[in-house]
Formats: sequence, structure tokens, C-alpha cells
Amino acid sequence: MANGSLLTHLLRGEKYPAGGGCLCLAGDCPHCLATVDGIAYVRTCQTPYHEGVSVEPHPESGRLPPPVSLGDRAPVPARSIHCDVVVIGQGPAGRGAADEARDAGQHVVTLESRLGQDAIGIYPGPLVVARTNSGMWHLYPREGIVVATGASEIQPVVPGNDLRGLVTARAAAELTSTGIDLGRVIAVGTPPADVVATTVAGELVRFEPRSGDPRRVGAVVMRDAKGQEQRHECDTVSLGLGLTPRDALLRMARGTNIRGVGDVLLAPDLPPCPSTGVVCPCAGVTVDDLRSVHGRGFRELDLVKRATLAGTGPCQGAVCVPHIRSFLGAQGSDPPASFTARPVTRQLTLGEAAAGAHHAATPRTALDSQHRALGAQMERLGGWWRPWHYGDVDAEYTAVRNGASICDVSTLGKMQISGPDAVALLEHLYPVPIASLAPGRSRYVLLLDERGYVVDDGMVSRDSETRFTLTFTSGGARFAEAWVRDWAESLDCDVRIMNQTMSLGAINVTGPRARDLLALAGVDSPPAFLHHAVATVAGVSARIFRLSFTGEMSFELHHAADDSTDLWQRLLDLGAGLGVRPHGLEALMKLRLEMGHIIVGQDTDFDSTPRRLNHEWAVRLDKPSFVGRAAVVRTNKVSLDRQLCMLEAEGEAPAEGATIWAGDDYAGYVTSSGWSPALGRSVMLGWLRVQPGINAGSAGLPTMVTIDGRPAHRVTTRSFDPEGLRARA
Amino acid sequence: MRALERMLFTRVVATPAAIDRAVWPTGALVLRIAQDEVLAAGTVDLGAVPDQHAIVEPETAFCGAWVDHKSGIQFLEHACDWELPAERPAFAQGAVAGIPVKVWFEAERILFLVPVPFVIDFAERWS
Repeated sequence: MANGSLLTHLLRGEKYPAGGGCLCLAGDCPHCLATVDGIAYVRTCQTPYHEGVSVEPHPESGRLPPPVSLGDRAPVPARSIHCDVVVIGQGPAGRGAADEARDAGQHVVTLESRLGQDAIGIYPGPLVVARTNSGMWHLYPREGIVVATGASEIQPVVPGNDLRGLVTARAAAELTSTGIDLGRVIAVGTPPADVVATTVAGELVRFEPRSGDPRRVGAVVMRDAKGQEQRHECDTVSLGLGLTPRDALLRMARGTNIRGVGDVLLAPDLPPCPSTGVVCPCAGVTVDDLRSVHGRGFRELDLVKRATLAGTGPCQGAVCVPHIRSFLGAQGSDPPASFTARPVTRQLTLGEAAAGAHHAATPRTALDSQHRALGAQMERLGGWWRPWHYGDVDAEYTAVRNGASICDVSTLGKMQISGPDAVALLEHLYPVPIASLAPGRSRYVLLLDERGYVVDDGMVSRDSETRFTLTFTSGGARFAEAWVRDWAESLDCDVRIMNQTMSLGAINVTGPRARDLLALAGVDSPPAFLHHAVATVAGVSARIFRLSFTGEMSFELHHAADDSTDLWQRLLDLGAGLGVRPHGLEALMKLRLEMGHIIVGQDTDFDSTPRRLNHEWAVRLDKPSFVGRAAVVRTNKVSLDRQLCMLEAEGEAPAEGATIWAGDDYAGYVTSSGWSPALGRSVMLGWLRVQPGINAGSAGLPTMVTIDGRPAHRVTTRSFDPEGLRARA
Repeated sequence: MRALERMLFTRVVATPAAIDRAVWPTGALVLRIAQDEVLAAGTVDLGAVPDQHAIVEPETAFCGAWVDHKSGIQFLEHACDWELPAERPAFAQGAVAGIPVKVWFEAERILFLVPVPFVIDFAERWS
């Protein structure tokens, strides 16, 4: 590829992509980096030349260019390739390994940097990620990985190593073979193959600039065996200073079926300890810098890297590591191994790094387009797109409290359980009796974990002797399914479980006139409170669950998701005379807060027990066994330290999360808050610490508190509909 | 790709043995999505599944589109990390462009089944 590389094209025209430094033509050094077609830090020696290519040299000093120029670029495609073997490097050793694998009938994928295929990392899996001219490849080898990346040539660290006209021995041979005239060539170390050069012996001292062109080498100075400096004039210096294996990929893939072949397995040559000059051209680290950090205690290779940033630049240590190893070795210990190898070995654009990655999609209910058509402000809540409001929160609230309203609750977790062991399983899962729940009845339930903490809540409804419908919170549905399935399997229960969260839509019809709306929809005898029944609602087959989260009479209509839009629109049409309008979650938050209903995840903490939540009524300790029972019994013997309480305050609602003070003492924080139109004041839920003493009411919880500098008081019985008569109407 | 259209299936959850013995409608596409769960195109009689506790429900929460084999494979190679089945016909399910998708491979064409809540995102990611 060197024949057609961008670098050789530039050199033929006497142009340099960068300021200077020893060119390797092998992708190892940072000396041919340039901004190519708008992308900075491109290795021009590994980039094919094409007509019209734009090359902008990097500044020789000062601020480096940003990695990518501004402007829209097409996404970088990613391709997944499953194969038996990946061979990285297609030199003689790599070709041999690939042929061998093919002969054994294996599906082989080869990567070769000079063909624009750069392996940039090996991840657990194993997964080999490669940047190619056609996008990113994600390679999944079933059998193994062969690394045949060869060895890189050691670069010189002496004064003047940033001049132009310095090339490695291999690069000298390659440039000559492409017809580039190198002029008078002085060879230091191993001479280049097939290049007319004068080989000089001795210790490399420095490179001197050419008179009249201070950026180009004019001579190389060597020290002979007698200690005398010898100056050799030249146009080009070829440097054969030894080899160091390109083994970063080999070292980063521990634990996978990986092997190296060829020069990658060479023991690294160790250059003489550098005495002066730039060690790391990427970060501008000098030998003096190494001495400085070593003197301050940074005496291990990785520490030197962190302290100086040597090895963190575009070449990832290819230039500096041999010299730092040599430096540290000369300080009295064995030369250390190389840096810890981690992906990525080559710089990537953000587009390349992001290729093939997708953000988690947020699901939409079947009514999503209806909400948007109604002008709803949509938010991601509970893992779904949901309407926060439809433009008039007060009107939405009022429709629920004074008339009838509908709300899309399709996001609730919905599950059917059937089987001879269904009762036994649910008895074990829930802290309330299940066997006594009659078919057609529903019950509110908490879900506890083994430590007695509340992890979700919902409803359990009995459909027949052996079949139940469970509901969970929107955000907790995924966990709940795993939880139910795990326990069913652990207990070896003979049950069938069907998660219908996405299959079923659910619309809540709520408000004092909800029954009137159902009557208009053809349901004359809706189920009583905490009952459920199957019915046809406005022509749609539905199961009606009578419950309440708003505090009003409520009927949750579960139906096939493809009927959602019809049912929604018919309810709005039929209810036009009743003033029916939909309400969003903002109104729902106010409604449930007036009732003191908690939202698991918002009002609960990771260690919320039923007692801390004031939900002991939802746990029946006379049940002999259920998940979390032992923990609840044990923690009930410990003094209560805090409790979720209802609070009220005059004036505007404080922010959720606001600190609650009892006098000068921290007392807790607000978990939910909102203005209550029904009460004309703010209502809140919040955690209060038990603080026996002044101002402490029952259970040692403060009665009067301060939030945002304003007084608030704890209420033991909610002010709105304390008997819950409206829900049961 | 062609527009994703809602498809009618019957979803069956029953014991694995009952699923093995069930009588499915002749010629219907039957996808075994779990050991104890099947998605069958069209309508399935409860009596077809020899398990008195089986849950058999109509399932309308999937949209599907048939695409020609070449375009389907081309898309999948760029949109999913998992290994595509080599045999035909074959069924697979997993993340495709980050969306949970079920895929039915035939010799000449491929069916993509996408849960309705993700249809908009999937269509965007396909284009």
C-alpha cells in the first residue's frame, strides 16, 4: 500500500504532513499524522491516496487541531462478522497462519493495516473491533485470534530527532522501492535493504540541521570507540536501531484463545539509556522530564506514564516505551514490561466509536399518537413515553375531581398466572392472604424482597380458582416479571406465566361521573370497588378493574392494545356531554398526593420497610410464610428510626427533595409535593426522622417542621376524603 | 423496508410437553419464543393445546414486515451483534438496532416482528 499511500504521494512532492521526526511508514510513529479530509490525527502512511484528498498539516506547536472538523457526517456503519478465526496482520507469519486455518476448514477473517483494516482492540467475548475503510467491523471469532502484527522499529532519542529526513531502515527501503530519491543516505545501525547508503558505526549523539534549512537534517554526529565525535553530512539518515514487538493486542486479550506468530513474539530490543532529547514526541516528554518524575518517586512504567503523559498520545507508546524501559532499567532495576495494554490502540473518531451503538429506545403506548395529537407534553416516565399534561393541568385535575376523565395507564405491568400451584406461589410472594381472595375480587399488594424492603406494589386479581391477573408499577414491571419467574422456578411451582404488559392497553376511567361514562359506553353494571369483570365497553372487549389511585371512583379497562385508539376516541366522544377530557401524569400526581398514595421508587428508598412506609396494614404477619416475613418480624423489633409521612403547608409547594427541618435539626426530606386545589394548600410526602423530645408527636415524629423556610405540619390522617368514600362510591 | 403492519397472532403459554403436542393450524407460522411459549399466526383453539391451565390469548402487539432475504441479511449484519442462523427456515430473537425483535428466516424472505411500542424507533433505525 505504501506505493499508493498518502504519505508517499506527499513526499514525492516534497511535502511533509507534519513538522518532522523519524518516519516509519508502518503506522507506528506519530510523525506522519495530518488532518485528512477534515479528520485530524490520520496516519498518512496507512491512508490510501485518492484524487482530491485534502491534507492539512498539524500545527508544529501550540494548540493541536480538534479531532474532527465541524460539520455533518454520515453515521459510520458497523458490521458484525462471526467467523472461526481472526488473523490480525498479513505479513508472512499472518498469511501463513491464515492459510493454515483455512486448510483446516475454518472460516478466517484477516485484517491488515495497510489495507485500511486496523484492529483497535480485543474485548472479552472475544470481540475484535477493527476500523476499516468501509466502517467498523465487530468480529466474533469462535475458535481463536492470531496476532501477527510484527514488530516496530525503535526510534532515536537524541537532540535533533524532530528533523525531517530521518527514516527507519525499513522505511528507507520502502521509499527507495517506490522511486523516491533519498539523496546521500547515512545508515545508523542495521542498514536498509537495497538502498545505497554509508553505514557509520559508534554511538548516536545528535542530528544537526542543514544549513539554510533548519527543519531538515544535514548531518548525523556519532561518537566513536575513542569517544571522539564524528560528523557525517547527509540528506537522509536511515535508522536501524532494533525492534520492539507490536504486542499490545496480544497483551490486552488475556483469557481468550489468542496466540501470536512471527515477530510479535520477539524479545524487545533495548536501546541505550537516553541521555537527552525528546522521548515522547506525542506529549513532548523529554529525558529531563523522566529524571524529574523519577526523582519524585514515580519509578514504575505505568506511574511514569501517568506523571508525564508519555505514551498517552496518538502512537500509544510505540516511540517512547523502549526508551522509558531503558531509562528505568538504567536506574538500577530490570527493565520493566510494557504499559498495561487496553483498547483502543488507535485513535478513533467519535463516529467510529459510536458505530453500531444504539441508545435504549423508550417504548410508546398504543395511544402515543393520540396524546401527541391532543398537544400533550410527552415525557419519559417509568420507562415509557407518557403524557405529562395536555396543556391545562387545572382543567385535567378538575375533570377527575368533579366529573369524569380518562388516563392512559397502558404502561402498568400486567401479567397472567395460571396453574395448580398459582395460589401457593402467590401466597409465597405476597404479604397478604391470596387463597381467601374470591374469584372476581382484587387486592392491593406490596412486593417485598427477602430483606423485607418494599420493591414494588400493584394489584392481584383472581379470575378463577387457578388463574390470576397481577399488575405492577410501570417502572417496576420488568423487575417484577423476573421476580415472579425466579420464585416460580425456585419453588418448582406448576404455573404458566404470561407477561402482557405490551400486549394489553389500559385506560383508567375516573371521577364521580365515571359510572355515567361507562353507562354511555354500554356498561350498565360495572364491578363494585375491588372487583373486576369482563364486559364490552364502547364495542371493545375489556376487563374492568374497579380500584382507585386518584381517590375517585375508577375503572381500569384492560383491552387488546390494537383496540386502544378506538376505545380512547369513543370514550372521549361519548363523554363529550359529561365534559370528559384526558388527564396526564402531572394532574395524576396531585390527585394521588391528596390521597397520600405512594409511588414506589419516588417515595420509597432502597430500605423502605412496610413500617417505615406506614403500610403495615398491607402486611399480614399472621400469614405463616411469605417473602420477607422473617425480615419484617425482625426489623419490627427494632425502634422505628424514620417514617414516610404526609405533610401540609400553606402556600406554594416546595421542591421535591427539599430538606425538612425540626427547629435547627435536620428532620428529613420531601419525596413528593404538589399544590392541592381541593385543600387550597400544599400537600407532601416526606421522610421524617424519629426525634423524641420537643415538638415530637406520636412515635417521636416531629409535628411542626420547616421546609424552605416556611412552616409545615405533619398530618396523621389525610385531609381529603379521609374515609375514602369517594373511591368506594 | 416495507411498512410494518400489525399482525394477528395467538400467544400460548403452556407446559413444554403440551406445546410439543399441540396441534397448530395447518401451514400457520408458529414461533417457539420460549420453551413454554408460542406465538402462532392467526387463531388457535384453546383445545388445540393439551394443558388445562394453558393461557391462550390473542396477541396484537406485534407489527411485522416481510423483506427479501438479501436486504434483510444486509440490515441484520449491520444492526445486530448476534450470529445469524445459517439454516432455513429458522427463528431468532434478540436486539436488532437496539430494539427487541423476532426474526423468521425463510429461503427467499425474512419476517421482522417488532413489538408495537418500538415500531417507530425501529423504522427510524432501519432507514
